[in-house]
Amino acid sequence: MTKKIFFILCSALCAISVFAQSDTDLDSLYRRFQIEEVEVTARALEKDVIQPQTLKGPELQRLNALSVADALRYFSGVQIKDYGGVGGIKTINVRSMGSQHTAVYYNGIQLGNAQNGQVDLGRYSLDNMEEIQLFNGQKSDIFQSAREFGSAGNIYLTTRKPYFKPDEHVHVRGKMRFGSFALANPNVGVDVKLKEDLSLTLDAEYVYSDGKYPFRYRRVLPNGETAYDTTAVRQNGDVNAVRAELGLHHYYRTTGFWRLHAYNYYSERGVPGAIVNNVWRNGERLWDRNTFIQGQWQDEWFGRWSTRLLFKYANDFTHYKNYDTRLLPSDNKYVQQEAYLSFANKIRLYNWWDLSVAYDYQYNILDRENLLLNAPKERFDRHSHWLSAATAFNIKDYLRIQASVLMTSIVNSPKFTPGIFFSFRPYPLIDLSINAFYKQSYRYPTFNDLYYTDLGNANLRPELARQHSVELAYKTTNTRRFEIATSISYYYNRVTDKIIAYPKGQQFRWTMLNLGTVKINGVDAKADASFYLPLRFVLRTRLNYTYQRAIDVTNPNDTYYGHQIPYIPWHSGSVVLGLDWKSNRGDHYGLNYSFIYVGERYSQQENTIFNHVQPWYTHDLSLYAEWGIKRWWLKANMEINNLLGQDYEVIRNYPMPKQNVRCTLAVRY
Amino acid sequence: MHISRKILDFLLCILSLCLFSCRGDEVIYPTIGTHVTDEVREGGLYVLCEGNMGANKARLDYMNLYTGEYYANWYGSQNPTQMKELGDVGNDIQQYGSKLYAVINCSHKVEVMDLKARHIAKIDLPNCRYMAFKGDKMYVSAYVGSVADPQMLGSVYEIDTASLTVKREVKVGHQPDELCVLGDKLYVVNSGGYILNQHDSTVSVIDLNTFTEIEKITIGSNPQRIRPDAEGKLWVSTDDCLVILDFCKGNQRLNVKASNISIIGSTAYVIDKDSHKLRAFSTIDLTELEQPIDITSFEHPYALLATNETLYITDAKNYVSSGVLYCYSYDGKEHWHTYTGDIPGHLCRINGAYELHSDSTKKDTTNYSPYIAKVYEYRPAMGQFVNELPKYEEGDDEASMCRKCEQAISHNAGGMISLGGWGGYITFGFDHAVQNREGRDIQILGNAYLMAGNELYGSSEPGIVLVSRDENQNGLPDDRWYELKGCLYDDPKTLHNYSRTYTREADTLQNPFHKHPYYPLWLNEDQYTLKGALLPSQTEIINGQIVQRILDFGYVDNKPNKDIEGTSFDLSWAVDEEGKPVTLSAIDFVRVYTAVDESYDLIGELSTEITGAIDLNINN
Repeated sequence: MTKKIFFILCSALCAISVFAQSDTDLDSLYRRFQIEEVEVTARALEKDVIQPQTLKGPELQRLNALSVADALRYFSGVQIKDYGGVGGIKTINVRSMGSQHTAVYYNGIQLGNAQNGQVDLGRYSLDNMEEIQLFNGQKSDIFQSAREFGSAGNIYLTTRKPYFKPDEHVHVRGKMRFGSFALANPNVGVDVKLKEDLSLTLDAEYVYSDGKYPFRYRRVLPNGETAYDTTAVRQNGDVNAVRAELGLHHYYRTTGFWRLHAYNYYSERGVPGAIVNNVWRNGERLWDRNTFIQGQWQDEWFGRWSTRLLFKYANDFTHYKNYDTRLLPSDNKYVQQEAYLSFANKIRLYNWWDLSVAYDYQYNILDRENLLLNAPKERFDRHSHWLSAATAFNIKDYLRIQASVLMTSIVNSPKFTPGIFFSFRPYPLIDLSINAFYKQSYRYPTFNDLYYTDLGNANLRPELARQHSVELAYKTTNTRRFEIATSISYYYNRVTDKIIAYPKGQQFRWTMLNLGTVKINGVDAKADASFYLPLRFVLRTRLNYTYQRAIDVTNPNDTYYGHQIPYIPWHSGSVVLGLDWKSNRGDHYGLNYSFIYVGERYSQQENTIFNHVQPWYTHDLSLYAEWGIKRWWLKANMEINNLLGQDYEVIRNYPMPKQNVRCTLAVRY
Repeated sequence: MHISRKILDFLLCILSLCLFSCRGDEVIYPTIGTHVTDEVREGGLYVLCEGNMGANKARLDYMNLYTGEYYANWYGSQNPTQMKELGDVGNDIQQYGSKLYAVINCSHKVEVMDLKARHIAKIDLPNCRYMAFKGDKMYVSAYVGSVADPQMLGSVYEIDTASLTVKREVKVGHQPDELCVLGDKLYVVNSGGYILNQHDSTVSVIDLNTFTEIEKITIGSNPQRIRPDAEGKLWVSTDDCLVILDFCKGNQRLNVKASNISIIGSTAYVIDKDSHKLRAFSTIDLTELEQPIDITSFEHPYALLATNETLYITDAKNYVSSGVLYCYSYDGKEHWHTYTGDIPGHLCRINGAYELHSDSTKKDTTNYSPYIAKVYEYRPAMGQFVNELPKYEEGDDEASMCRKCEQAISHNAGGMISLGGWGGYITFGFDHAVQNREGRDIQILGNAYLMAGNELYGSSEPGIVLVSRDENQNGLPDDRWYELKGCLYDDPKTLHNYSRTYTREADTLQNPFHKHPYYPLWLNEDQYTLKGALLPSQTEIINGQIVQRILDFGYVDNKPNKDIEGTSFDLSWAVDEEGKPVTLSAIDFVRVYTAVDESYDLIGELSTEITGAIDLNINN
């Protein structure tokens, strides 16, 4: 079956090569395709020292993706851990350094989780998202907060900015999504132009799914006979979530603006747990509330000096309760608070030389309460300071250099981490660049690492990641026919002092230790292309391939020395093919196919048959149409995910849904 | 155009990648024994590896002490139809009567098996921990009683071992762990492991007649283990010390923080948590005894089992990778060690179970592999490929050469081994007995080929096949051999009592292509004699090529492998030493030896080569 699909795929590709030659005047169409409601970002990609991977606007909406995590699967160098279903935790690991080395920024300010350092990207909806970007190393622009220099991989989530045509004052959006496993997902949004340059956006969403998806375990004997073949329904995987966001944007003069953003998310969900022998249901429940308010003010003085102020206050509540009477009963509440302030400045000394300095401060509090033991509430807190200095040169457009140094002071004595980035473009008329960087970054112990009951170790040092990367990028555009961007990068990373759980003494007393060294060699290759075909068809393709060899080199005496670290496949990749057609009136139809492949990997440190996890690959298909009636737009979208109904697991013992469908109806004004 | 072409190439590259590493059926393969030791002892040892919570990696391994082979995931192999194998977190294993019982903690069950670990039944018990037996009853401690109460008290269940149903339940203290029966009383330690910093510290005494708790003895924080000695005392480990409950002379304490205890005769072996040492105490006067076994190099000494002859102890390493099982004699000498599953936590010695492997009466052949599973002997005659196929390396001995042969030709590995000149042999077997069914039973693969354009001639280096039944059931090929009669058996030119002696001295280079010793370098002796039958030469020179006339049937490495019939053998061809036909219902061992004694300047000596064998009665 798979072979057949590939045959079709190859035929399609052959077709492209033929179509791409035909000469038609589609320039105007191309423009219409590009300028959607989305504001076209001014940044010219080829001028970046660090070229991000980007998904934005219509391309983002076309993917078979419900959450940010689903969309990130289409980036190269990225591995997602997905525990299955709408409510299952989804975390991201960039270039095998571990999810805690990846920072996620929501409208420019980091989403924190001082408790466990992981951001569940399954909770961030795509409905309000305008752009997702992944920068390896750090963001290209040195005008950033100090903390942004501190992570090995950076994901920037940018929500929709209102964009009004001169005679418009209000935009209204409504969307209803239904799907398998009782998915109901309404979403409403309003953008209001309060006065010239001052606008307000509101977006609210509700998600419900009962999470009762069928899954199947099948094993065969060497002679091909079935050993067992069991299909069951996932239990306790329901989720109920409400999200509401409010944004206020004010752009004054041509240089300055301020933004305020308030975010509130509330959810209740079951934690479906691992499927093990004789256990089909687990009884844990989880309640979450994430609230934050953040603001940004930015202006420019004398045409050379830019200033930015950021602030954030976040208050997150988690309540975890285990109802399974057979297990250790637990009923825990956690409240995390975070206050954050950042002050960044950039000075343009010459047209080719920028300097920036930034200082960030953050205060975290974690309150922990065990409702069963009536133990006194515990409180942990932590002050963090970051100070950064960075500079960027642009030598006659041939060579761009960015260098930064960050001082981090969190509990331990201050640590300094440098980063240096080069981009060399040998030919002025050809968009070919050679990019390279070296960067160090620390991952600091989380509150769990430090203070988790009977496990934490307050003496932990931060974990250090050293990245070396080279990239060759090429881009070519023929506005009438095609647009192609392709790149290949090789990287070598080394993570030392890795924070891992280690059994201490006898009887399973685990503790956290700085024990572990991982060596990562990887290659990311990607190619994005659009082809403007006759009859107003546009074909878009996106190919990604990642090779990673991430091996444990902690101790030659370990049985797993030199083995691939858990859950990192050697090979992974994705293919997206989209065919769009726009009628004369501007009605819009599209078909999107995507294929994701994650190769074999191991669930534990030792690469033995007992830890082997099979490759998985899914074919997703979506069909959509958009009709314009006066100033109203109506959109319908139909998705089929895991078309062939593969029974797979991303994480061992956490089965993923088989074939499932989603339908979306949206209207906007 | 060229760019699209590049993309196409790239896509094809992905395509080929995917086709090579596509998801296949998830196959449960029968476990393959790893040869660990040449020592022969009665019976076997079950090793229950706990596996981490949520990993579903509880694994029951079996060490066949008779054959010296270790079988990883023995339970999974014996019970391939059990959904999700043994389960999550193995916590206890014991033999009682003709059954084997395993407590699988996070699968909330007691698995009941026969002594070969074949599933009989499961008993659902919530968060069950340990077992004890008396009469026709089994007692199981469980962290959670049938009714969830705010006190979180645990229970002990009484189970009828005939009907395997729960009969009675008694509530005990917090998180009861090990338990043991003494007379008509049951003693259960209450660990209180769920309650941080204020563990339970009692032993519950249960009257087995009324099945009620009659007493709670306070002994010390977080008791874990309770083991009876021969004098009727109970050794209980707590967080701080060992408490010896002596019902005659009063309780005593030993200042040892024990993580595990095993008592044999009048000696109690104890793993000391603080010093990471194995210590021994007299159960009579509690004095510490000298004991030479050194485990200080262990990362996390874990399971411990003292038996009459040897002591078994495991190292759980970092708890998330393979542990190691060690066997020591009491003089401190390590006999062998082998890797186990994750967290080898519980050991159970089984007596008289050596027939686990050569159980050929079993009709069900669905679990078996059709390919060679084991090579028992490898004794090539001198020859140009000896020490090359397989490769001899410094330090190799007969056993390791057998392992190399195994790697080459077992399980459809597709490698090749050479038997050298006349008389050189190999003995191999399958993971089961090969049944004598209608038609051909075994195909043995070699490297014979036909001459182009002349099907009567080719490269034929015939080897004779002998078969044997494991009559003494010891798992070793030391029983009577029967020859499978080939087409030249009755030929008057065939010499049936031929023999040759090979000596190290005679080993001189004979062939410019193979400048290495022809004598098997791993042998200690300087000469050896081989016996058997010699087939008449079939060699001729045709068109300047040295070729052999292809024999009709009944020899290895005589016809090309694609000729299945020509390379297959029927067990009905078996004859005894006098040439009388014998009826074999099944065989356990196959031996092949080179049956020609010829050497030519250009091609060297004729030697039978083997690349594998297939039991044709098993569907492949």
